[in-house]
Amino acid sequence: MTGSVPDGVRPALESIELSLGFGAVTVLRSVSLRIERGGIFALLGPTGSGKSTFLRSLNRMNDKIPGFRREGQVLLEGESIYGQRGDLMDLRRRVGMLFQRPNPFPMSIAQNVVAGVRAHKMAPRRELSAIAQRRLEQVGLWGAVKDRLGESPFRLSGGQQQLLCLARALAVEPEVLLLDEPTSSLDPVSTEAIEALIRSLAPELTVVIVTHNLGQAKRVADHTAFFHDGHLVEHGPTARLFDSPAEAETARYIASALG
Amino acid sequence: MPAPTTPSAPERAAAVPPVPRARRRAAASRLLRGVGAAGSSIPLLALIFVLAVLLAQALPAIEYNGWGFFTGTAWRPGNFYADGVTTNGVAHPPGADYSVWPLIVGTLASSLIAMIVAVPVSIGAALVIVERLPRRVADAVGMLLELLAGIPSVIIGLWGALTFGPFIARDIAPILANHMPNVPVLNFFRGPTGYGEGLLTSGLILAVMIIPIVAATTRDLLRQVPLLPREGALALGMSEWETARKVTLPWIRSGIIGAVVLGLGRALGETMAIAMVSGAVTGTLPTNLYATMSTISATIVSQLDSALTDATGFAVRTLAEAGLVLMVITLAANIAARILVRRTSGTALPVGRGI
Ligand SMILES: Nc1ncnc2c1ncn2[C@@H]1O[C@H](COP(=O)(O)OP(=O)(O)O)[C@@H](O)[C@H]1O
Ligand SMILES: [Mg+2]
Repeated sequence: MTGSVPDGVRPALESIELSLGFGAVTVLRSVSLRIERGGIFALLGPTGSGKSTFLRSLNRMNDKIPGFRREGQVLLEGESIYGQRGDLMDLRRRVGMLFQRPNPFPMSIAQNVVAGVRAHKMAPRRELSAIAQRRLEQVGLWGAVKDRLGESPFRLSGGQQQLLCLARALAVEPEVLLLDEPTSSLDPVSTEAIEALIRSLAPELTVVIVTHNLGQAKRVADHTAFFHDGHLVEHGPTARLFDSPAEAETARYIASALG
Repeated sequence: MPAPTTPSAPERAAAVPPVPRARRRAAASRLLRGVGAAGSSIPLLALIFVLAVLLAQALPAIEYNGWGFFTGTAWRPGNFYADGVTTNGVAHPPGADYSVWPLIVGTLASSLIAMIVAVPVSIGAALVIVERLPRRVADAVGMLLELLAGIPSVIIGLWGALTFGPFIARDIAPILANHMPNVPVLNFFRGPTGYGEGLLTSGLILAVMIIPIVAATTRDLLRQVPLLPREGALALGMSEWETARKVTLPWIRSGIIGAVVLGLGRALGETMAIAMVSGAVTGTLPTNLYATMSTISATIVSQLDSALTDATGFAVRTLAEAGLVLMVITLAANIAARILVRRTSGTALPVGRGI
């Protein structure tokens, strides 16, 4: 068993002997992981261990980076996302992403929320404002922005901007949500709000969250994988990984992070 | 001077105020502010000076030409060889009858054609250069653009008159001219395409001249757009075209408007090349897209010589009045652009990114 999924059950997302690199540099070596549907999966590890590179290969965000190399496969619901028939835009609708820093678009708050919905023509124009409201309510931002929907998102606080980006990602109804240290630029209150939201998404959505914060992994994740220096060191149910790590590297990281 | 933590009131009272030094500093900062104010008002003063000189020159012409200057179509300098006559205290050759209206139309129409062609081409070219071409090719193309921008307009005019204009008139324009339906508005695109001098050639030549400026400026702006919002758009499943249209270009919207206005200013004022490819016809409105015409600036440059032979001085004063009209048009375009920038930057600009 390689991951959070028992053998015989098809995972939502699966990497098979995935090796990634840029030019001559190999960033990640032969990572095989099975990510359970509807769970929250944390990718933990020190900075530079390859977590972001791995995460970004799950929605093909590395493709355009000069020198990007890939060996191995990534399967979404059993189908290779790097295959011939892959529709990149549809893949990214199904596998959404939230970045390390909020990145609102230069359009109004309401337009931000429905930008993806419009791009994928998922709803007629007259339904857009209702969709915007529903998603803003879902992330708990409606009260704060309902009187300024037509205004610039750049005047919102960092935490509010990140919630807006989350609303935008959720609006296209993804199956998987990739989060790359989504709270690393935020204050504790915003962090807590985002973490609570992530937990509320879990049963309907598969969440993969990169973090170098042990506490965050503990608080939100069912399952945690520990990366170190381009290797997947080990993975398992979060509690098990923290209480009795199988590998010395994991134990050392946990000890140093707690100390 | 040391910058201590805020002293309490008695402390402040006890401290001996360093009077002379403080006064000297105040004087220095006043002087600095004065110099700054003077420096920043130089452009405004220059503008007022130019307008005033033009106005002083044009005043008699404004009086004589009256509102008819903006309504009729005639451009008749009158008889320079006859004795001048005086109407309402303004000396002018007999038969003088001027209207700048066709020149305004020629100026605006040729610039409009230029912008319609140049803006999408420039922005498209800038997008291709920044997002598609490998860096080395992009740099080479960029250098080419700067070279193009530096070609003297008289050379472009010569090329337009000898090669480009005839090519358009013979091989391109007929396609449009022969297939447009003969209905109002669209019949402006019908008619004989001439020999290469006229409105269409003028507009296209202007486009050739402003594309390098607008494209190079837009390219520089595009390079400053951060990766994060663009990746956000791609990660949402937007296509590269949608990302460019919805995120990248709006990010630099006010800068692009500035570049376009720069190009428009160049087009409105461009003189030499237009004098060479317009046909230099005054006194009638262009009846179709291919008709010969002229612009304000081209008329001023091509008629100044003969105007100076008008002993009453009236022809020169009329050219000054036309120049004043051009100034007003250019200023109005600038102000309109500024208003547009302020209007559109409401949601677009990353104001105070609260991170
Ligand atoms: N575009 C790139 N080109 C070259 N090397 C890169 C690139 N992106 C990341 N790397 C390298 O890959 C390694 C892992 O980076 P990353 O995946 O960002 O780690 P993490 O997210 O765990 O901090 C780092 O050593 C980094 O220098
Ligand atoms: Mg990272």
